[in-house]
Amino acid sequence: MKAAPAAGSPEGSRGHAAKSLPYLLVTPLAVFIIGLALVPAAFTIIESFYRANPLDPPTRFDGLGNFRRLFANNAVLTSMGNTAVYVAVGVVLSTVLGIFFAVVLRRPFRGRGILIAVLILPWALPGVVEGILWTGIYDPSSGLLNGVLSSLHLASHGSVLLGDNRWLTIILIELVQVWQITPLSALLVLAAMQLMPQELFQAAAIDGCGAWQSFWRITLPLARPGIAVAVVQALIATLNVFDQPYVLNGAATTGSSVTEQTYFISFQNLDFGGGYALSLLITLITMVVSLIVVRAVYRRVDY
Amino acid sequence: MARTLSSTRGRQGRAAAAAAVVLAFALAACGGGSSGSSAASGKTSGVTITVTLAAPAPPKDALAAFTKQTGITVKWVDIDWDSLQTKISAAAAANTYFADATDVDWSRVGQLGKLGWFYPIEQFLDTKALAPDMPQIKSFTVGGHVIGLPYDASFMVTTVNKQMFTKAGITTMPATLDEYTSDLKKLQSKGISAHPLDIPFAAAEGLSTYWYETTGALGGTVLDQSGKPRFTSPGSAGYKAAEWMINAIKTGLVPKGNINVTDSQGMQTLMAKGQAASIYSDYSGNVGSLYNVPSSSSVVNQVKYIPTPGATGAAANWSNPDGIGIPKQAKYPKAAAKFIQWFTSENQQVDFAGVNGPSKAWSTYALPSHLSAVKAMAAKGNLVGGDALSAMLATSKPVFEGGAPSWYPQFSNSVYTNLHAAAAGSETVPQAITAIANTANGLAS
Repeated sequence: MKAAPAAGSPEGSRGHAAKSLPYLLVTPLAVFIIGLALVPAAFTIIESFYRANPLDPPTRFDGLGNFRRLFANNAVLTSMGNTAVYVAVGVVLSTVLGIFFAVVLRRPFRGRGILIAVLILPWALPGVVEGILWTGIYDPSSGLLNGVLSSLHLASHGSVLLGDNRWLTIILIELVQVWQITPLSALLVLAAMQLMPQELFQAAAIDGCGAWQSFWRITLPLARPGIAVAVVQALIATLNVFDQPYVLNGAATTGSSVTEQTYFISFQNLDFGGGYALSLLITLITMVVSLIVVRAVYRRVDY
Repeated sequence: MARTLSSTRGRQGRAAAAAAVVLAFALAACGGGSSGSSAASGKTSGVTITVTLAAPAPPKDALAAFTKQTGITVKWVDIDWDSLQTKISAAAAANTYFADATDVDWSRVGQLGKLGWFYPIEQFLDTKALAPDMPQIKSFTVGGHVIGLPYDASFMVTTVNKQMFTKAGITTMPATLDEYTSDLKKLQSKGISAHPLDIPFAAAEGLSTYWYETTGALGGTVLDQSGKPRFTSPGSAGYKAAEWMINAIKTGLVPKGNINVTDSQGMQTLMAKGQAASIYSDYSGNVGSLYNVPSSSSVVNQVKYIPTPGATGAAANWSNPDGIGIPKQAKYPKAAAKFIQWFTSENQQVDFAGVNGPSKAWSTYALPSHLSAVKAMAAKGNLVGGDALSAMLATSKPVFEGGAPSWYPQFSNSVYTNLHAAAAGSETVPQAITAIANTANGLAS
């Protein structure tokens, strides 16, 4: 049996240093998260119960007053409905497309690197830039989409795509966000697929498993960790969508999102308490839905 | 090589869920603000001040000359208008320094005045002496205090493409709104322009401004002195203005696609490209700075200002100038005041307007806020449509008697979202008017 190193001995100091090293390494990140995420989040929670409006001083405790006002505000309620559609369309489409692109990119082929670089471009672009770009595509008189639709006799020239019909407006706006977030979903699922052992697929093929069966029974189950993360990132992005509806459709209720309402309530109306309360609601909804998704989709996979 | 495959719900699942929670918190944690105030210094030399406006920096030589003259160095920060308004609110609410001089928009004067976020300019400059030559100073006066000085003279005007009007056989420009509407219909029926009128129906500030201008032209105002609506009766100017605007898009005078066109987009893509023949509520200065610029326009020398057609004749123009003020968190308020004095001086404005050569011109500058400067420019022939503009500037009025109310941004949001909805067909004009009136009544009470 080896004797424990004496306290103060070089060996003992090295032991302490080795033990404290992980904490030391984690400290900057912990300080960052506590200072820039958890403290403001705690502040948001507390302030959401206060009437904090510089136009109506002083700041005072208001219980659930901010929340009551939010649920009596038609613009907020409409934006909640809009956001639910953004989430449903965005999460489903970006995940399905992400899986599709991951499957396509899984095997090496000529030009794969270039294709991945092109695929990632929309993700790298700021939402505002994408909004401006797609404003041109959706333009009723000179837009690409109207041009294609009218040449196919599917729509008359000059048809208004955005702002006229609520559901069409939401879907078209969300398509722009799907275009932005799908690359990350594809890369996350692709990363999970790259870890899958080829022997499994070889063994399955020997046992008579076809391509479709192999995809359903091996690829998809093993990709679940990647898919779960992809779904959560899509969920967070769509629940917090701001740039695309704001640039493409302004403040119109046909497409406004809850984060747009947070902006208007906080910085246009200067009702910071209401803004905090709506931020808190978005956070709680994001947390709950993310937890449900993770529990439903995520599975631990060991190779 | 032995590999095992397992698929279980376990600790890692919970860890992933926890990570999602932290990520959600991190994304939502945008509401916090630091507190603290800067100790203001009375220094007026040897300091660097930050000037933040929604405009690119003026010519370097001009700023260098100011530094040489005063010993004050200027750090210019250009931020888009919406972000700047957010920054002003966030910095003031958190009592944090971000600029020594910044934008004071006419529409926020009531709000900013009530909040006391800006120094009264009369503490530093003789605003009473400036007022006769700077008529739009009224737009920045609230509670007897001037919280910003107009550095340009922006007001709403009517522009027409004279060549298109002439082609349609219209030689006398319309003097009333009825004549104007009739002329636009003539342009349409003769095939000169499929949709001759540009109204920006996107749910944004430009739509509200258009409605105010039309209401004013019909002889009314939107709100009374106490902030109560004056547009609920079908016979009121505001009601008729809303009906005229919505009718214009329903009957095709305005392209249907304008449902998502903002004011500046319409000017650049419809009027400057010769698709629209007129804008009823255009920006003063646009003829010289946009329509007569060959690189951005296909209607060079075709667009003219006309006196705004009103109910019975020429109507007054609403002023919406850009102002500059000193936030209470400024580090060097006296130095900032010196800068504002220089920046808004008549000589400097003439330079910015390009009268003394392109090297001294400020590319985005609209029109001097000094009446004498506008008149001098018009006399020298340096201002496109100068005679018309100087007459309009002299009679331009603030949109709201007694200044914009402190809740103006919320009211404006209601105006543009409801008029947009009426244009899109999801609301009728009476419904939109009722919704806007309810907002005004709720906010004013």
